[in-house]
Amino acid sequence: MKWDIPSLEELEDAVWKCTACGNCKTAYDFGPPPTYGEICPAGVEFGFDGNMASKGKIAFARGILDGQLTWTQDFVDAIYKCTICGGCQNQCELDHKPVIPEIIESMRRKAVKDGVGPMPTQKVIAQSMRSYNNPYQGPRRVRTDWTRPFKKAKNPIKNIMKKNAPILFYVGCTGAFNLPVRNFPVATASIFQKLGLDFGILGENEICCGSTAMRLGDVDEFKRVAETNMKTFKDLKDNHGVETIVTSCAGCYRAMKKDYSLAAEYEDCMDGLKIIHTTDFLFNYFKEGKIKFTKEVPWKVTYHDPCHTGRHLIDFDIDEDGSRQWKGSYLGKSEDNCLYDIPREMLKAIPGIDFREMGRIRSNSYCCGGGGGVMTGYGDWAAKNAGLRIQEGLDTGAEQMVSICPFCHYNLNEGSKRIKSDMKVYDLVELIDMAL
Amino acid sequence: MTEMSTESKIDSLITKKLCKIVGEKNATDMKHIRYAYSYDLSFVKPKLPDYVVMPTSVEQVQKIMEFANQEKISVTPFTAGTNIGGLCIPENGGILLDMKRMNNIIRIDEESHYTIIEPGVSHAKLASALAKYNLRWSWPVGPPSASVSSNAICHGIGGLSARYGLNSEEITSMEVVLPTGELVRVGSCAIQEDAWHSCLPLPRMDGLFTGWLGTTGIITKIGLRVHPVPPILKVFTASTQTLGHMASYLRTLGNYEICDDLTGVSWWLSQVPIPYPYKPKPDDAPEWISFATTFSWTEKEKQAREEIWRMVVDEETKNGSSLKETVYPEEALKARTQLPSQIVGSTKNYTKQAGAGISWPGTFTPLNKWEPVYDEWKKILTARNLSPSVRVTNYRGVHYGMLRAMIPFPKKDPASIENARQAIVECLKVDLDNGGIPYKPPVDFGVEINKRAHPGYVELLKRTKNMLDPNNIMNTGKLAL
Ligand SMILES: Cc1cc2nc3c(=O)[nH]c(=O)nc-3n(C[C@H](O)[C@H](O)[C@H](O)COP(=O)(O)OP(=O)(O)OC[C@H]3O[C@@H](n4cnc5c(N)ncnc54)[C@H](O)[C@@H]3O)c2cc1C
Ligand code: SF4
Ligand code: SF4
Repeated sequence: MKWDIPSLEELEDAVWKCTACGNCKTAYDFGPPPTYGEICPAGVEFGFDGNMASKGKIAFARGILDGQLTWTQDFVDAIYKCTICGGCQNQCELDHKPVIPEIIESMRRKAVKDGVGPMPTQKVIAQSMRSYNNPYQGPRRVRTDWTRPFKKAKNPIKNIMKKNAPILFYVGCTGAFNLPVRNFPVATASIFQKLGLDFGILGENEICCGSTAMRLGDVDEFKRVAETNMKTFKDLKDNHGVETIVTSCAGCYRAMKKDYSLAAEYEDCMDGLKIIHTTDFLFNYFKEGKIKFTKEVPWKVTYHDPCHTGRHLIDFDIDEDGSRQWKGSYLGKSEDNCLYDIPREMLKAIPGIDFREMGRIRSNSYCCGGGGGVMTGYGDWAAKNAGLRIQEGLDTGAEQMVSICPFCHYNLNEGSKRIKSDMKVYDLVELIDMAL
Repeated sequence: MTEMSTESKIDSLITKKLCKIVGEKNATDMKHIRYAYSYDLSFVKPKLPDYVVMPTSVEQVQKIMEFANQEKISVTPFTAGTNIGGLCIPENGGILLDMKRMNNIIRIDEESHYTIIEPGVSHAKLASALAKYNLRWSWPVGPPSASVSSNAICHGIGGLSARYGLNSEEITSMEVVLPTGELVRVGSCAIQEDAWHSCLPLPRMDGLFTGWLGTTGIITKIGLRVHPVPPILKVFTASTQTLGHMASYLRTLGNYEICDDLTGVSWWLSQVPIPYPYKPKPDDAPEWISFATTFSWTEKEKQAREEIWRMVVDEETKNGSSLKETVYPEEALKARTQLPSQIVGSTKNYTKQAGAGISWPGTFTPLNKWEPVYDEWKKILTARNLSPSVRVTNYRGVHYGMLRAMIPFPKKDPASIENARQAIVECLKVDLDNGGIPYKPPVDFGVEINKRAHPGYVELLKRTKNMLDPNNIMNTGKLAL
């Protein structure tokens, strides 16, 4: 397949749009009342301006482009010390804003191409992807372990390759292989069954979406799995009656919606297929009155907005042909596709829920610290950062933190353990399943 | 492309010593980290520091300065580096002292209306903290992530400058580490440890550390006056065809002392963003637009302000002014009244079209000289295809105020940077010759100022600097002496 994934050199003009104003270093809103918060996990931990926000990352890009900076071990390390959360991006107002994560990832692609990236611990992921088609070194057959309770209860989940269904539940590697979050595919499938939906899974044939590889700059590995997936999806559409792909993983969702669209054949493979996050998917049933909560969940909960279902889905209005301001000018943004209100609305509708909001939310949500390969590359820092987020949740008086991303879920859990808090982390589907 | 001076030698023993003072994670000589501090928004040529150090306590700052002084290593302090004057670019390499981690708000005295903060406290942080007490500071239109104390010590200006003057006039006390490492205090906190309310009636020793072209000591704590926020905002907007008419209006209105901010902007600056390259103003658009920001406690007070404003408009019109009540573009008005502003702070309003660079001839100039200087600036700037995007603002009363042209340019292109630099220096000479004085100036400007200065003044500067900093380690090369 042909791909349009930009190199750092191709993004040079964008790099030179950054003024170094440092606006990206904090999340601030006039209000009233004014609100303020740290927004960059890397900045909070490492502190030097180079480590901090897009100001720092673009300085690195600029240094590479103008020949001042060449790879050293520490420099490569600094490029990977970023969760690619986009918190910084949300603060910037200049023309390079829409491509800030691309600038960061393009440096990683360059590092990989030059044979110096990713970091040694992250190389394990690449190796695992090649050997097991998932980043967790999980043998293929383990992928369906979570379905056992359904088999036992005589409600087995369809293998979509064998039995057609209009809905593919794309589970994702984290839910399938990562024990502490394995309850969330279970809860998702349980809700689907309670709703009487005709759905299936790829089972042992499911392979990684490629999100982690892409975030690490391993573009070849990303392309390999993305191409396989797109071909599989086309086959499912053409030959197995699939109309909708539902995924509970924010990373998979972003990859399929955004990263895959960089392929020339994207439309050909995906046209006619609806890709939707579980939360959004269930919301349609909720609106239609088909989800009726019958049980109480008497909890004090707060909600963590994952980056991948939040600001990563912001649509940027760019003057493509120069007719409105000038060619390439960033004109504004729309948060219509971000999953902000939907999870909150469903959460609040669950009887007994006492909802508490944190200070940094929605597009200014503070990243859990696990994305961009950080959880694998810098596990200790990832958990430390998650501890900060958990503390923010605790400060609201909440006892449970709910989210809609297995990655955040896992990392926040680690954070909670690290600060020895009693805060428990749940996926929204777990609460919905409990209340149904 | 960036031109960079050749690197001076890094001494790993020095790095080790610095690491010993502040911890391994807070000191480095790694080039990619140093590189990120080598440039700013301005035309000033990038230069690399040799070491970057982030202290977290006063004791650490003292130890760093003692060590630097002993080893004669240059030190350039930094909080966010957004001064638009290259002030944090280390002319002589050495230590870049990043103070952002000392960022505690030590006290907000809601009764006596002052705050004590550390240098790393940003406008964003202070704004959200003060709002809880319905208090405010004279917020600049800069990045909310920039430092409040750095703004104050550099004679910053903000949304209350027509009423209270410069932000340095709001300083009530300071704790400073001298270049030699000793800790000193100025203002009331020097006499009674816990009293941070006023610099007066003591000698104004805060002047030893404010307004220097390169700061002369490391501020570790600062006391600042803050003010209550009356609930009713009313902004009067008017336009004129000439700066002469605008200056007259601002002077007349300024006489009544009813405004928090009294500012006029040329058509080019009222555009979002500033047009780059220059584009002519439409014939039917007024050349000058002004906003006069007022806050009132009651409706009656607001009405009284309105009455005064009407009187001023009538008086100006009677005298033949082209003054007209007008609508200020909404986005631009928001940018002036909703401060601190994340949108303006991100430089969108200024540099978005040009790409990455801004510098200014920013000056304090008597009101009666605004028009002649502006007329010259306009010629200089348009000849170089740059927009005359000029702002004028009264500072507490009517005797002087800001006259500043915000000049965007594309950082990618050295010829365009040089074009802007030359234009700005030319503008500055005109202003200096008319009695204006540049603020937060890069070294290029310092040279022009000192060339014109009374020899006694330069000598006094030298002696004072020498007394504070006998080894000339702080901001080496910045004073253009
Ligand atoms: C778009 C834009 C608009 C702006 N508008 C305004 C405005 O309206 N009004 C205004 O006043 N400014 C304005 N500025 C300039 C600047 O943003 C502010 O003055 C800001 O508060 C400076 O803070 P900083 O942290 O960036 O300081 P820095 O640039 O980091 O430092 C400023 C100076 O202080 C020194 N310094 C820093 N910390 C210390 C310390 N602890 N002890 C001693 N010396 C120290 C530095 O060496 C340097 O000389 C604007 C800037 C931008 C980019
Ligand atoms: S990325 Fe944007 S907000 Fe950050 S320093 Fe650059 S221009 Fe400013
Ligand atoms: S993407 Fe997130 S972690 Fe990376 S620089 Fe931006 S705010 Fe920091």
